Amino acid sequence: MPVFKLCMKIIQKNLSSMMIYVAVFLIVATLLSLNGSKVQEAGFSQEKTNIAFLSEEDSPLIDGFQAELAKTANFVEVPDETEKLQDALFFRSVSYILRIPKGFTQSFMRGEDVRIEKTTVPNSVSNAYLDLNINQYFNTAALYVKTVPGITQEDLVRHLKADMESNTPVAMKADARQDTDNGFSANYFNYLAYALSSVLVLGISAIMLVFNDRDLSRRNFCSPQSAGKINFQFILANLVFTVVCWAVMVGFCFLFDHRNMMTRNTVYLVLNSFVFTLSMSSISFLIGNLLKNRGAISAVCNVVTLGPCFISGVFVPQEFLNSTVLKIASFTPTYWYVKANNQISSLASFSFSSLSETYTAMLIEAGFAVAFFAVSMVVGKKKRMSS
Amino acid sequence: MIIRVNNLVKRYGDLVALDHLSLEVKEGEIFGLLGPNGSGKTTVINCILSLLKYDKGEIEIFDQPMAPDAYDIKRDIGIIMQNVAVFEELTVYENIDYFCGLYVPDKAKRKKLVEDAIDFVGLNDFRKFYPKKLSGGLLRRLNIACGIAHRPKLIILDEPTVAVDPQSRNNILEGIVRLNREGATIVYTSHYMEEVEQICTRIMILDKGRMIADGSKEELKAMITLGEKITVETFSLREEQLSALKKLPNIVSAEYRDHLLVVKSGKGQNNLEAILDFLKRNQITFGKIYSELPTLNDVFLEITGKQLRD
Repeated sequence: MPVFKLCMKIIQKNLSSMMIYVAVFLIVATLLSLNGSKVQEAGFSQEKTNIAFLSEEDSPLIDGFQAELAKTANFVEVPDETEKLQDALFFRSVSYILRIPKGFTQSFMRGEDVRIEKTTVPNSVSNAYLDLNINQYFNTAALYVKTVPGITQEDLVRHLKADMESNTPVAMKADARQDTDNGFSANYFNYLAYALSSVLVLGISAIMLVFNDRDLSRRNFCSPQSAGKINFQFILANLVFTVVCWAVMVGFCFLFDHRNMMTRNTVYLVLNSFVFTLSMSSISFLIGNLLKNRGAISAVCNVVTLGPCFISGVFVPQEFLNSTVLKIASFTPTYWYVKANNQISSLASFSFSSLSETYTAMLIEAGFAVAFFAVSMVVGKKKRMSS
Repeated sequence: MIIRVNNLVKRYGDLVALDHLSLEVKEGEIFGLLGPNGSGKTTVINCILSLLKYDKGEIEIFDQPMAPDAYDIKRDIGIIMQNVAVFEELTVYENIDYFCGLYVPDKAKRKKLVEDAIDFVGLNDFRKFYPKKLSGGLLRRLNIACGIAHRPKLIILDEPTVAVDPQSRNNILEGIVRLNREGATIVYTSHYMEEVEQICTRIMILDKGRMIADGSKEELKAMITLGEKITVETFSLREEQLSALKKLPNIVSAEYRDHLLVVKSGKGQNNLEAILDFLKRNQITFGKIYSELPTLNDVFLEITGKQLRD
């Protein structure tokens, strides 16, 4: 099998540049995956907001309100000076300053329209929640004042306390709960797209470039080896290289995260990565057929692998990407690979219906593999005919 | 017969690259295909090797029709292309081993053949070198080693000495003669007439895809009227003396330029003596004097009216 051995030697010669990609990938994937483990939602618990509570009057209503507010807020002591209050907001020691103006209680008990002064940090979710609580308290109180004429502040506070104690329990509704943490493998397999595609493009296009050399292909043609034999050995070598690359990359994941590797999620992640490997090897075939010199390999490799990785959600989650970018990315197998990975890692049940989207993404990846392979065959044939 | 080409026609659009060309190469010959650039030498070789489809004609090698899938024939052919065809990723040894491996699957047998080929081209000190590290001459030698390692019966060399230094050129030419002595039939194409003259036992001169002469170098030179070219260095030759010289018997032409008198004489003996006698009689002083026999360039010039390197 001289052609097969030759292909292996060409790969060996280019191994150092491929190893750079693998090493960088392993370091980055390990670091990022360890930091980026997915938090699984298992229940609901109330969070408390830090607020500065400034009241210019004392009354049973205000005391009752403060006691109720204490359930959803931490009171932070801040001197009532403009500069210090501004500092407290700026340094986030409080995110909400609430001021009860003088005469508030009297006006409220008379049923007048009253307002509380508030100063908050912008775009805070917890502040919005606090607003809801305050409005709920005083709206309920206003209802009592309106419907029970002559109600005392003490009675009002007592009624409000009883009303506010009736909570709505929150329970997480889910079909099932994942027993394992797929965070590492999900991130690892997403990052794998970059390193795997880079190594495949570097290796396969290096082989293609050598065999597409006009003088060498003519020289091979003069030998007693049939074109079929040469092509068989050539394709076999490329397949072996592809599978070995895939196995090594997946193998590292087993090494780092062996405890979670026997889950069905990981099996599907591995399957998805194999389909993606096939599509990337087809693209590498095409690149190898289009390239004319060795110097262009690494430049093209970076453009062809890094570009799709950036727009397909390998480095930045797909949820954060613009819809136009994702639409463009959907013309690359990387997008479907990452999409399938994200779906697989969040799967808790493995029925056909829950896997259907994943299968669709994998089929699209396989479609890319077939399409690129067909195009590369046509380009290769045209090239041979012209030489 | 090792090669028989009959009535071969190859066209590139309107251009006729080979025009009803026929040739035969017998066993044990060093057959030279000589012609200027673009005369059709490489096209003939490509057709013989089935690298090119041709429009008309028949090609037989080892008395069997040659075809792209004639693998039994290809097994006994060694080819050394005009452009060096080696793998930059492989060392000298690995390159020869690869090309030999295309013909000889047996590893042990191949090892011996590869060693012999390295010895033959004198690349022993460079066996672990990558092609990038080799000079042009060494690279050509590697190219030859890759083509001959499997000990073929027929070796086709297409301009193997292009852009090679004189030392490597001599080395290559000596090697070709040695291969022939060891039993290989050689087809050698070149536009360097000196090389062809030096090593070939039979020569075919091509021009514009047509054979214009065929035979041994002696036979080719016998085809032309020129017998000898005599050059005399002299500083005092008058016009009437030159005219008188031209009238001497057996003189084809005489020119005097830059203190050099060049006299071309026809076939026959005592041409030099007759000219020396003329110079003495006319008291023409002269310095160096030398005589040259006609070259293949003279043959080409007389047949086509142009120089081989035009």
